[in-house]
Amino acid sequence: MTLETAGFWGLAAVLLAGSLAVVLTKNLFHSVLYLAGALVATGGVFLLLDAAFLFGIQLLLYAGGVVTIVVFAIMLTERLVGERIRQTSRRLANGAIVSAAVFVGILMAVGQARLPTERPPLAGDVTRGLGEALLTRSVLSFELLAVLLVAALLGALYFARNDD
Amino acid sequence: MTTALAVRDFVAAFVLLNAVIAVVTYVTLLERKFAARMQSRIGPYRVGPHGLLQPIADALKLMMKEDVVPATSDRWVFNLAPLVFLIPCVLIFATIPFAPGLGLADLNIGVLFFLAVSALEIVGLFMAGWGSNNKYALLSAMRAVNQIISYDLPFIFAALIPVVLGGTLRLGGIVEAQRGLWFVAYPLLGQLGFLAYLVAMIAAENRVPFDILEAESELVAGFRVEYSGMKFALIQLAEYAHVIGTSYLGALLFLGGWLGPGPAWLGLIWLSLKALAVFLLVTWVRWSFVRIRVDQILGISWKLLLPATLSLLLVAAAVVAYSGGARGA
Repeated sequence: MTLETAGFWGLAAVLLAGSLAVVLTKNLFHSVLYLAGALVATGGVFLLLDAAFLFGIQLLLYAGGVVTIVVFAIMLTERLVGERIRQTSRRLANGAIVSAAVFVGILMAVGQARLPTERPPLAGDVTRGLGEALLTRSVLSFELLAVLLVAALLGALYFARNDD
Repeated sequence: MTTALAVRDFVAAFVLLNAVIAVVTYVTLLERKFAARMQSRIGPYRVGPHGLLQPIADALKLMMKEDVVPATSDRWVFNLAPLVFLIPCVLIFATIPFAPGLGLADLNIGVLFFLAVSALEIVGLFMAGWGSNNKYALLSAMRAVNQIISYDLPFIFAALIPVVLGGTLRLGGIVEAQRGLWFVAYPLLGQLGFLAYLVAMIAAENRVPFDILEAESELVAGFRVEYSGMKFALIQLAEYAHVIGTSYLGALLFLGGWLGPGPAWLGLIWLSLKALAVFLLVTWVRWSFVRIRVDQILGISWKLLLPATLSLLLVAAAVVAYSGGARGA
């Protein structure tokens, strides 16, 4: 077994355990910490695939940004002391069925596609390639996403403003 | 990767880690001496000649102290927090090139790696604030989240100005692009960018005048109030390591890194002197100003620093585009 395979299985175990813990723990704050762990492990998978740029972005935006904002939301909604909000996770069975169906679907799709056993090498600088793709081939979706984000921001401002 | 390479990397990482810890230990003494001079005091003087053994005495004392864990704390979170806080703060040194070819890994995404890893520090911080189950610690963690959301963006934008000017994310490449003209000397853009970098750096490190989350007089010591002994020492270590790491980054991005007169092997010394200058500048600010209010801190970030750094970044991009490519590309 190569170092890369070992790394992948280790990361996969952390990722799976972390993601399950996110939905199954009762304590909301612990759930966020598991989420942070799962997001860092996802970054590790990017790193194993030689996509260091994506690894950096994953850490910066998800593990640094999204987790911070979620913690912010928890701290603002929970009372500082006394009883704490619990994660209820009702309808666990339905969720399990849906995720099992998605898993089987992915498995079938991957099984049908004939994938090479060796990972094809990356051509050129990933960072440069990403930047060029974003501003040429995918420029429309890139701009649409920007519009979507602005809309979300304006919506948040609308709900947060004072009525007077 | 062959075993020999792995062993060599491991040894290099071990040496660097210990060097960082040694430097950080003595930087605390330097700061205390510096602050004492500014306040017409002498500072630590009794332990060893001129107080030179003071950091070692402090470390020994902290190691021997009782380790208190509050009964109502969230035990796992409380105990893990100092480690989660420390790891990103020492990991940032992995990508810093101390001289041409001297450093663990001069990654081609060096600047991004630095910013991404140091963004993880906040997880340890609010783990400490929450896990302590203490009102002061929790208030401090809330303020921290507030402040870090506000100052992450200006810090990133300020650090991206040299990236755009140099045309690369690799720290070594940015330094080479400054041969002849350090980015701090770049007309207007360099000075304003460096100033924004310094302000955002002080805020990101929660030092006076942006230390609302530590605030001895109102929050006791903020998120670390329940920590004692070695865990307290780890948190202190992490904070100083972060300050030193960010000083090195500032020296690499704006002050020409290892460039300087003399033979190439002097590079490490030049870089360290420049980083030290950045650190002393920050310390000077720390001991000269008073803490400012929460709303003022947030106002400075959102109303001044964020638009300023964003427009500086745009100007830098325009300059590069119209002058026909970046200097280092």
